[in-house]
This record gives sequence, structure tokens and C-alpha cells, in this order.
Amino acid sequence: MKRLLIVDDSKLMRDMVAACLRPLGAVTFEFAGTGLEAIERLALAGFDLVVLDLNMPDVGGIEVVEFVRSQDRMRALPILIVTTRGDDESKARVLAAGASGFLPKPFAPAQIIAEVRRLLPVERAAT
Amino acid sequence: MGTTGTPGTLHVTFRVGSADYAIPAALVLHLESFEVATHVPGAPVYVAGLVQVRGRVVPVVDLRKRFGLPEVPHALDHRVIVVQIGTRVAGLLVDSAREVVSLDKATFEKPPELIEAQASGFVTAVARGPKRLLLIVDVATVIGEELAHGK
Amino acid sequence: MSDRVDLQEFVGAFVAEADELVGSANSLLLEIETANAAGASRPRAVRDLFRALHTLKGLAGMIGVEPIVEIAHVLESLVRTADRAGGSLRRAAVDVCLQGVAAIGERVRAVAEHRGPAAVPPALLEAIAAALAGDERGPSPPAPIVAAWDAKLGAGERQQLGAALQDGGHAWTVTFAPGEELAARGITIATVRAALGALGDILKVLPRATPGPPAGLAFDILLVSDAAAAVIADAAATSLERVVELRLPGVVAGPAPAAASAEPLLADIPELEDDAPVTLGRSLVRVELARLDDLQEQLSLLIVSRFRLDRELAAHAAAGHDVRKLREIAALQGRQLRDLRRAILRARMVRVAEVLEPLPLLVRSLARAAQKEVRLELDARDAELDKAVADRLLPALVHLVRNAVDHAIELPEERVARGKSRTGTVRVRCAALGGTHVELAVEDDGRGIDRAAIARRAGHAIGDDRDLLAALVQPGFSTRDIATRTSGRGLGMDIVKRIATEILGGELALVTAPGVGTVFTLRVPLTISVIEVFAFECGAQAFVVPVAAVDEIIELPADLATEPPRRRGERVPVRMLDCRGHAVPLLSLGTVLAIDPGDGARKAIVTRRAGEPVAFAVDRMLGRHEVVVRPIDDPLVRVPGISGATDLGTGRPTLVLDLGALDLSGRERPN
Repeated sequence: MKRLLIVDDSKLMRDMVAACLRPLGAVTFEFAGTGLEAIERLALAGFDLVVLDLNMPDVGGIEVVEFVRSQDRMRALPILIVTTRGDDESKARVLAAGASGFLPKPFAPAQIIAEVRRLLPVERAAT
Repeated sequence: MGTTGTPGTLHVTFRVGSADYAIPAALVLHLESFEVATHVPGAPVYVAGLVQVRGRVVPVVDLRKRFGLPEVPHALDHRVIVVQIGTRVAGLLVDSAREVVSLDKATFEKPPELIEAQASGFVTAVARGPKRLLLIVDVATVIGEELAHGK
Repeated sequence: MSDRVDLQEFVGAFVAEADELVGSANSLLLEIETANAAGASRPRAVRDLFRALHTLKGLAGMIGVEPIVEIAHVLESLVRTADRAGGSLRRAAVDVCLQGVAAIGERVRAVAEHRGPAAVPPALLEAIAAALAGDERGPSPPAPIVAAWDAKLGAGERQQLGAALQDGGHAWTVTFAPGEELAARGITIATVRAALGALGDILKVLPRATPGPPAGLAFDILLVSDAAAAVIADAAATSLERVVELRLPGVVAGPAPAAASAEPLLADIPELEDDAPVTLGRSLVRVELARLDDLQEQLSLLIVSRFRLDRELAAHAAAGHDVRKLREIAALQGRQLRDLRRAILRARMVRVAEVLEPLPLLVRSLARAAQKEVRLELDARDAELDKAVADRLLPALVHLVRNAVDHAIELPEERVARGKSRTGTVRVRCAALGGTHVELAVEDDGRGIDRAAIARRAGHAIGDDRDLLAALVQPGFSTRDIATRTSGRGLGMDIVKRIATEILGGELALVTAPGVGTVFTLRVPLTISVIEVFAFECGAQAFVVPVAAVDEIIELPADLATEPPRRRGERVPVRMLDCRGHAVPLLSLGTVLAIDPGDGARKAIVTRRAGEPVAFAVDRMLGRHEVVVRPIDDPLVRVPGISGATDLGTGRPTLVLDLGALDLSGRERPN
């Protein structure tokens, strides 16, 4: 079971992202409504992937990415940025900050599934 | 400008290796000193690279390499002669640029066959300069006009 | 889009959330207006308003309600401008916003009642654009206030802090460190935030990594509140020493905050002053393109010298000098440069409808020559394009339209025999895509492209439309087999592809159905002059790559890439990168370019070739830049994968790479 954290200040958007990703199968979704909550959740528990909005009150997506990348434990945590600000400048900022992927809103379900598939760590054989 | 009184066409002369060359001044936009060019991986080996001149990005042909001469260390005398043919603008990297002379086209002679064969189309004529013989360079061939139309 | 169908089940939830957002936008606007009347400003409300509009736009986009996206988008721009200018919204702008929000509300209701939402009245968009043009002259950001928070605060937040302090309020930095124990007791940053919010205004919260437990994390919260420190500490579930009042040696007696500058100052400016952007069409000035080119050239010089400035700044910072003030000015100047660039770009825009003007005559004469009946429909609405893009695009469009008339549309008798109307239709559509790109489609209702004929010609099987397009754009691919008798000419699709992708940095797509018709779609950027790039070093040479082409930038641990078996060959060696368990081919860019063995590679740029991820190892990243790209089109330096040159402030050209197009064969180039 993979653990995904979906971060967006709109509940509806969180629900839609989860609905889009449901076909992935073996995943559980958890949600955060602000960048702050996201950081707190990530600091306290292990996730396999984060779907992150950019524009949120107080602490935006970029700051979340920067925080995550500053933590040794989460250096490799895949972060997919999902944002209405789909311009190249935003993309450059988030990739430079260390995000793993960038998907402009609106997106089709197939697009976000493809991105998450690309980013989600593949199960490794037991040793 | 070292022009002479005789009627003729203005040419810019320059030196590459031990020979003196000339090209029509009408083709020359300006002369630039040369420090370094941006290497363009995958370009023909005789392309020294790109330089920025007067807000324009221009490819530079290293005439030593183009003419099959050994490389020499960078020297202060090196010049880039910026030429324009049609809409194309390119630079010619030469050992040194000499002067502007007026050459009477009537005195141009076809180069001896052996020289012409060796120069593989780069030299169209031999002219008598004020001091020495000058090889008249076909600029279009040197900057690879066949590349432009070849494909 | 059929892909969106899944999301239609959310329409009900959308209506509910959108209603709520419209409601809160309205009350925020009323709050702002009330404050305006009292000569005060409400930066926080402006920011919340921005976020409400932003969320509305995003949700409406997902559900596919374009008119709401459109209105929310322009309103959002207006409010963002206000926020950046210090957080005050002029009365005229508030009025326009109220109209816009009302228009959104109407369309939400339409969605709720399963009616199609009405298109956006142009008058409304124009009114918003006019307010925006007016607001761009708005007050400049107030002076910075508290050093510790200085760099972290936006203009609106600064203004709010300044105003509060000048009114004799108190500001605090409250530190909260979350932990599992606290979380178990139900105390999280969310509850702390709520508790502190009840005591005053939270201006900003910053996470910060802390050494050691409990979670290696603390939040610094900037709070404006008149409550006592102990009360605050209690609310924040933190200790008293973690509540620090901000003393203000750094208060700058700057210009009086918005209170004074908002309405009265601007009221002096006549509302009808006619300096609206040219694109609003109120007054037109014809400008020679060369002058605009000149302007842009000057701008590019400015951007180049800006790089030099950044470089010097970095050097000073590295030498241990205090450059915070300079950084701030540099950041401000950066924004101003961007605005200037936008303004110049706006001036360079031409209406696509104008660009398409030559087409009707072309179609008429082509149809006559081919003895066909063809109707041309143009639908460019209000789309605009940079003149430079338009000039390059037109030949590709002409090509596609010519092909449609010559090859795709059948002769009238044939059409009738197939049960179609005698007259064929060629449509050229153009629509803006999210402010950075436009999409142009050339559609015909002709015979469709004959897959079998193309497969025979190409000598291999053709799968989907992408395969088909890939075969068509092969240089020299002649498709006489599908050409009509009237024209035996090949399609020359390689040229169309080259214009769309190499020259304009866009995309070309194809959809075709036998007997029904064909659609070619060109997706091109609005402008080709300035793009966002990552700069990096490989060998001793600097390069840049467009951000649009980059999927990810990853660290390259020494032991990560394994070398799969390799038969002797000319190709550049490929290693295998373990990317979260996915195998991604990794090539040394230095080896591909034959400039460096690639031993010093520390980073990899992940891009796509033919849709598949490929990583290129490079030595190190040099940051991101906004650059003016000059195309390299001289045959001497026309190399696949090298798409242009730019100046990063060094005075010499830096190559712009198209990693997807690089030649990986490792062959030597001819002399």
C-alpha cells in the first residue's frame, strides 16, 4: 500500500485529485488543507508521494518543497506540483527547488495518473 | 585606408599561414579582434564557433583549419573579418588583417592549375598586390554556401 | 474532452464550493470597500480575495467551465496587481470586481441548473482590463519594516504590519514545534493557527528545520495582536520564551501607509485618461516593427546587464558582505524588468485574424485551379500573437491550407457520391492557451489521410495518428500516392514540423479519420523571444536548456547508474539510472557532445525523447534565467539539438540545447 499526501486548500480539488488517482489501486490518500499542515504531517509520518498545490495561505508549495528537501530523510520523496500557475517561470522555480514533477491545472485524469506512475517508487524485491 | 590611385575594386587583404589573401571589400561588414568563440559541438571542424558582434550571433570559420594549415596559439593579431553574402553573415578568422587595396580586376589571372587543384575552389584568381602576389578568395565557398543549398 | 467525464460527478460539489467562494469573495470586496471609504486598506482581505479567485479558476478549469475560468483569470490578475502594489484596491477596481464576481455567480447557477454557462461579455473583460491598466499605476510598495521578517514578507503583508505598528499595535514572533505527542493531544499547527487567529492577525508562518526532536521542525508565526504574551503562549501551546515581541529599531519612517495613499492620490488622475494599452483598441498608433525590435533589443541588453549584477551580488555575498538591501532592490528590479517585458510584448502583439487575412484569396485560387468547391472558415476570435511568431507561422499555415485544398478535399462529384455536400470546408481556428501559447488548427472535411498508402510508402506499419505524423514529417517523404490528380506535389510536412517545433518551440499534432477529415494542430508560444531556461555547465562550457523541456533535475550519486551490456558500436554509451525503481537511460552530455568524458557529472537533467524519459548527466546547475534566445540558422552551425544562442552576461554566446533532438549516434562530424 502506498501512502499519498494530497495538499490543496480546496477540499473539492483534493477530492478530485484523489478521484483521478483512484484507478492506481493500492494507494491510500491522506489530505492536508494548508502548506503548514502538509509540513507537519510530513515531519511526523512517512509518505511515498506528495501531490502539492502551489498557492496556499501562509506557506506555499515552494516553501513546502524547500523544507522537505532540507530534511535528509525526505530528500528522495517524490513531490508532484499541481498548479493553476502553469507558466514556465513557476515550473522553473519548483523544479529548481527540488520538485519531482509539474502538472498545470486543469489536467485530465489520465495526465495525473501518468505523472504519479512516473514518480511513485516501484516496489522492490525483498532482500 | 591604403587605397591607390588606380581605378579598380577595393579589396581587404589578410594573411593566413605564409600567404596573403584578398576578398572584395564590398562583402566586408567590419573587422573585429578575436578572443574566444563558443564551441559548437557537432559543427564542421573548421567552424571555430560562435561570437557575438554588435548584438548579432555570428559563426566563425577558422581559415587555418579550412585551408588545412596547422593550428597556432591564439595571438593578438588574430582578426575576425565579418562578411555578408546574401542574407548570411559569417566571420573569417585570419592570422592578421593587412590593409585595404584597390585591385584592377583586369589584371587578375587564373591560378596555375596545380595551385587551383590544391586550393579546391577556395581561390579564384591571383592578383598582383602592391608588394606581393595575392590569392583572391571565394568567400561563398569558404563559408560553405554548398551547405546552404546542398540539402 | 472525454477524459474529463470522470470529473463530472463533482459538478454538485463544484457548485457548492464555488457558491461559497463567490460568497466569500463578495464579503471580502465589501470589507475592502468599507475600509476604502474610511481611508484604510485591507491587504489581508485582498490576499484572501486573490486566493478565492485563484481557487475558483482552478476548480472551474477542472470541471471545464471555461467562462468562469476566463472571468476568474482576469479578476485574479487585477487583484494580484493590487496585492503586489501594497494591498489596496481602488474603488473603481472594487466595482469591477463585484461585477465580475456576480458574473461568475450567474454562471455557477447555470451549471447548477444544467444550463450551459453564458459566454463572457467582452464589455466585462474590457472593463476589468481597463481597471487593471489603471491599477498598474497604483501605489508602490511601502518601505520594509522588520529586518528579521523582511525578506519573507510580501508588499501587502509589510503594509499590514507597518499599519498595525504605527497604530500602536504589537507584533510577535511565536514559535511552535509540533510533535507526535502534541498531535496525539489534538494540537497541530492547524489548531494553533486557529487559536492564534482568534487573538489577532497572523501575517505569516514560516517552517524551519530544527536540530533534534521532536519532529526536527518548528514554525515561526508572525502575529499582530494586543493580547498578553502569556495568553499568546498558551494559545500556541508553547513556552513564554518562545513568544518574542518585535522591537522596531528597523522601522523606517517611509511614506505613510495605504491609508493616506489609496483613494485620494489616485482620485486626482482623471478616470478617462487615455493611455490604455494599444490592444484595448481605443486609440491606435501604427509603429514600425523595426522600432519595436529595437525596443526589445534594448530590453535584452538590460536583461544581460541584469545578469552581471546578479553575478556581482553573488560574489559579494560569497565574500561575506551584507547584501540583503541590494538583493531586495535587485528583486524589485527583476519584477520591473518582467513587467517591462510584458508591456513590450503586448505592444508587439498582432491579431491572429489579421495574420490569416491572406488565406481566403489563397483558398479561392487553389480551389479554382483544382476545380473544387471549398469554403474557408476563419475563427480567430481575439487571439493575438507576437509579430515575430506570426511571421514565421504563416508559411506553415499556408502549407497546411494548401494541402487541405489540394489533397484532402475531394472533387464535388466524388463528395456527392460519398454522401457529402458538394462544397468542402476548410476551417482555421485559433485559441489562446493559458496566456503562454496559442493553438491553431487547420481542419478539413475531406477524405482523411490514407494510412495504408503511407505505410507502403514508409516501408513500415503505421499505428496511431502519432506514427502517421512521424512518417509524414520525414524529410523528403513524398506522398504522391494520396495526392489528387490535380497536384502531384509532396506535402512538405517536414517544413511545417520544422516551423512548429524547431523554429517556434511548439508542437504539431494530427488527427485524421478516413472519409471524415483531418485536423492538424499547431501549438506555439505567444512569443519566441524570451524564455525561461536552466543554465548548467558541462565540460568547461556553459549551456542552457528551456525549462519547458525539463521534467526533473536530480542529484547523481556516484553509484546510482549501472552500465548495461553493450555490443561494440558507435553509439554513445548509455547507463541505466535507477529513478525511484524505474529504469531511465542516462547519457553523459559531455560524451554526446564530444567535449568531455563526463567524469565530473553531479546532476542529471531528465527530459523526454519521443515521449520516453531520458537523463543527461551534466557537471553542475548554474541556476535559472529568463533569456532572449537568438535562433542559430546559419548552415555552418545548424546542428540537431542546438536550437539557438543566448547571452548570460558573459558577452559571448551560450548555446541553447534541445536535448530531445540531439544526435546520440556518436558519429564524427564531416570536416
